[in-house]
Amino acid sequence: MKPTEFLEKRSSHWEELEGLLAGRGAADERAAARCERLAFLYRAVCADLALAQAYDLPEPTIRYLHQLVARSHNRLYRSSGVPWREWAQIFFHDLPRNLRSDRFAAASFVVFWGCFLLAMLTAYLSPAQAEHLCGREQLDMMDQQYAGLHETGRSSDANALMMGFYVWHNTSIGLKGFASGLLFGVAGIPTLVFNGSFLGAVFGYMAAGPHASNFFTFVTAHGPFELTAVVLSSAAGMRIGWSLIQTDGYARTDALRRSTARAVPVVVVSVLFFILAALIEGFVSPSGLPYVYKAAVAVASTLLMLAYLLLGGRGGAAAGEGVRRGT
Amino acid sequence: MEPVLDTEIEVVTPENVAFSYRLAGPFPRAAAFVIDVAVRAGVLFLVGLVVALFGLFSLIADALAGAGFGFQAILGMGLVLAFVLEWAYGVAFEAFMNGQTPGKYCMSLRVVTADGAPITIGQAFLRNVLRFVDLQPVYSGVLGLLSAAASSRFQRLGDLAAGTMVVSESRARQSRLRIDDPRAAELARELPKNFQPSRLLARALSDYVYRRRGLAPGRRREIASHVAGPLRQLLQLPPDLDPDLLLCAVYLRTNRDDAAAGAASVYGVSGSRTAKPGPPSLDQVLSGIQQR
Repeated sequence: MKPTEFLEKRSSHWEELEGLLAGRGAADERAAARCERLAFLYRAVCADLALAQAYDLPEPTIRYLHQLVARSHNRLYRSSGVPWREWAQIFFHDLPRNLRSDRFAAASFVVFWGCFLLAMLTAYLSPAQAEHLCGREQLDMMDQQYAGLHETGRSSDANALMMGFYVWHNTSIGLKGFASGLLFGVAGIPTLVFNGSFLGAVFGYMAAGPHASNFFTFVTAHGPFELTAVVLSSAAGMRIGWSLIQTDGYARTDALRRSTARAVPVVVVSVLFFILAALIEGFVSPSGLPYVYKAAVAVASTLLMLAYLLLGGRGGAAAGEGVRRGT
Repeated sequence: MEPVLDTEIEVVTPENVAFSYRLAGPFPRAAAFVIDVAVRAGVLFLVGLVVALFGLFSLIADALAGAGFGFQAILGMGLVLAFVLEWAYGVAFEAFMNGQTPGKYCMSLRVVTADGAPITIGQAFLRNVLRFVDLQPVYSGVLGLLSAAASSRFQRLGDLAAGTMVVSESRARQSRLRIDDPRAAELARELPKNFQPSRLLARALSDYVYRRRGLAPGRRREIASHVAGPLRQLLQLPPDLDPDLLLCAVYLRTNRDDAAAGAASVYGVSGSRTAKPGPPSLDQVLSGIQQR
């Protein structure tokens, strides 16, 4: 078999495949017929490539065939859509169960709330310490912000603006906290310590100050969701970062890849919580509702999260296995 | 033969064909990233422009004034849009456009998994969220660059965590290996019939013919003389024969079935279909060449 014969005979097929890849086909051909033709030509070109390599055909031809096969392969083997059932299984069954045994979530929780409570106590007892932790300007700004009492709440207009701002600002912080956890699992801890201490000091300072009721009226409603989201996103970051250190015998890149399977659902849930917190912080917290309702929102959100964490995935292993087998 | 030291990764498809992907290094990827940033900024700018210029915001404000919303609400929506564009743009495009964002499409790049399979949503999410680390310190991209340099597949940290790589999909054109010189065909007919070059020689000849297009005649002679010298001795040809011409002739002999050669083919079928006078002798061809 002479190469030029081969080239001449098969060129027309290759050009047809190129045309199909570029979206050109006979105008009267149906899409199904085009698909079949593409698959047929792809198999033929695979065989051509094998032949070309076996017969040591000229280099440019082989390179061309490589590219053609690669492009057709990418066209035929495409990303699949959204696996809804799989996702439902992960978020309603696997994730709560994994969170219950997640030592990074526990560590993150302890570090954050430990710093928070410590800082709150310190700031409550000694405003000078609060100033050390937060800085004078921040505390002054807080005082100013909560000096005026919102009788009727802000306009919905301003609420919508602030909601957009919180969605953008807070969720970005959460996602960045997750990403920076990659730096050996340590980069998450300073963030937690800083955030915990800062927020705790603010809480303690305001609690001891004259505008305590205004402050707590504002922050109560969205507190649970937001603080939980911070803890969760940092926990996920710590997990992927720590996998680079404790590799369990795998290569570091492989250990990293394995840890992401458990980390990603946690991040997604934390993003969800951030968005919910932003919604509440934008519309409920600054509104003129009586404090009782805001506290009720806080309690409800806490109970919801607890229910998800403690009751989720408890349907029994049998229920979970059944879903997995069915899909 | 040893694998070529190049930025290519071999993938075995379900059809049991091994083909190679060409990896994309940091520079095309940086260009694609810049294009993506420009696209996102452009979208935000256009949205803002549309809202402001056409007074849409006043229309919406009137419509929503009943619900108490106005211009600030639109700003709020703008902030949400900015958030979505910052974090979800890459994820959505890579997951639903088979691994290509608009920037990557412009640069003919594609994200695939490390073994050539298409990318999943989880992988797209991971590599886009972790881009924040790759851009450190302070948005310089140094960490990502170091990671790409150290990885065998140009993987930045986000790619390592997600198990993906970025390949280049540029289109190579089918090249025609044609020799326009008629003297080479004449000489090819005159070569001894029992002379069959080995596969390695045939491959080298086709490489030479492909590359000689871009070379000056003097350079061609210089390169060709390395192989033409021994060939001349083997085939007992005159020493002043143009080496480039000789290699072209041998290439033609190897790669084209010359029906007019009049030689009996391997399967015992006579090569010539039309009765032609006998081919010119080697002396005639050579004297013809020397005269020109």
